[in-house]
Amino acid sequence: MELPGPFPVGRYAKTLRDELRKRARVQLIGEVTGLRQTRKQTYFELRDSEGAVPCTVWANELERMELPDGALRDGAEFVAAGGPDYFIGSPTSSPGFSFRVTHLRLAGEGDLLARLEALRKQLRAEGLFELQKQLPRPLLPRAIGVVTAESGAARRDLLAGLRRRGWAGKVVWAFAPVQDRRAAPAIGAAIQDLAARPEVEAIVVTRGGGSLADLWAFCDETLCRTVAMLRVPVLSAVGHERDSTLIDDVAAVACSTPTHAAEAAVPLDCIEARRGLERCAGSLRRAGESAIGVRSRHLVALARGPARALRRERAALNQKTRELRAASERRVGERLSFQRRIALVVLDRVGRRAVQGAAAEALGNRRRSATIDRSAAAALRARREALRRAAVALRAHDPERTLERGYALAEDAGGEPVTSAAAALAAERVGLRFADGRVKARIERPDGGT
Amino acid sequence: MAEPDSYEAAVERLEEIIDRLDSNQAGLRETLELCREGRELVTYCAAELDAVGAGLQELRLDELAAKLEQAPP
Repeated sequence: MELPGPFPVGRYAKTLRDELRKRARVQLIGEVTGLRQTRKQTYFELRDSEGAVPCTVWANELERMELPDGALRDGAEFVAAGGPDYFIGSPTSSPGFSFRVTHLRLAGEGDLLARLEALRKQLRAEGLFELQKQLPRPLLPRAIGVVTAESGAARRDLLAGLRRRGWAGKVVWAFAPVQDRRAAPAIGAAIQDLAARPEVEAIVVTRGGGSLADLWAFCDETLCRTVAMLRVPVLSAVGHERDSTLIDDVAAVACSTPTHAAEAAVPLDCIEARRGLERCAGSLRRAGESAIGVRSRHLVALARGPARALRRERAALNQKTRELRAASERRVGERLSFQRRIALVVLDRVGRRAVQGAAAEALGNRRRSATIDRSAAAALRARREALRRAAVALRAHDPERTLERGYALAEDAGGEPVTSAAAALAAERVGLRFADGRVKARIERPDGGT
Repeated sequence: MAEPDSYEAAVERLEEIIDRLDSNQAGLRETLELCREGRELVTYCAAELDAVGAGLQELRLDELAAKLEQAPP
């Protein structure tokens, strides 16, 4: 495609300038940076986190604006009214674009609040307010990092607060400017450096009170995003209670004062904790002692119990024994006398009966004796008779009596009777006994042989 | 007893122990065990407090960073 031109550059530059000057005049708000002044003009950039515009003000116009002395300085928030312009250059100076400022004023609370509100809405929508609040915060950090101005009441107040807590760990100071355009990046870098130290368990960011413009660094979007994403809890104590900066929203805890920040950074009141520990130790000791003491006393009581019961029983037993002995003695006495009486009666009775019995027995004996005497005489007579009869019978069988009657008894040489013919033959010689004497005889067979 | 994870954990356990002891529900053996554990926890907590009680120490991050740079790798 064929482009128009070529045009002479000077004429084009003028056309560009004229076109730009036709654009609507507006108000811009931002931080003043790179401020420099010449005799005729003042130059600076107006910037925020998203971008910047170079600005120029004619010296005479600036004078007419009657700004407070020193108000226009780097880091200050300003509202600039004007429009785009183009400087076409000169034989001695370069051309350039600028925003021609015709009116300039310090940004008021209203302007800043409006910007702050928009930013706050955006960060909240992104969930950046919640991240820090979910981080665990140690009750008793060993080291805390502090970002603050080297000289300032905030530093002193924070230290005093930590000491009052009885906490005496490590404070790692990261001093940074807290009020100008360098503040936000320096604070952000300090926070990141502190978070990189492993011993740092919490970070306090603090500065004293001021106008919202003074505290504006703590509303810096980049700084607040850095804080939100940090893995170490950040405690902000920026300005006074009524001041609300964006870092308060993203921080784990927003504190009203440096003293409050000291308490939030070390949630444990170490002095009170020591007292509490002493109380714990005391109650543990008491629990331990009483656990044993109460039980041992109980044991002792229990141990003493049987002995006491035993003594009681023994005493009761002794008493019973005495009573029993007394009773039995009484009873035995009674029994004895009773038995004695009974015995006397019985003995008397038995004696009498025995005497009677003996008399009866004696009589009987006498009777029996007579009977026996009579029986004995009869028996004797009977036996004598029997004897006599036996003698008669015996005499009848006496061989001598038989010999008397004419019989002879054959005897062998030994005197033994020979009672058969065969025996006589065998003996050959026999004796023959007659009632009046013996003879010898020779046995002969009836047939004449011997 | 294992070393508690943190001061918070130690204090929490200590409170449990005291509550249990105060309840008078623990038997003798348990009571003595609890007392022993409690004493260890108290010692641990006291040591933790001592670790941050030796005197507040102030360090400067820029000096620490300078030291780190000087230290041999």
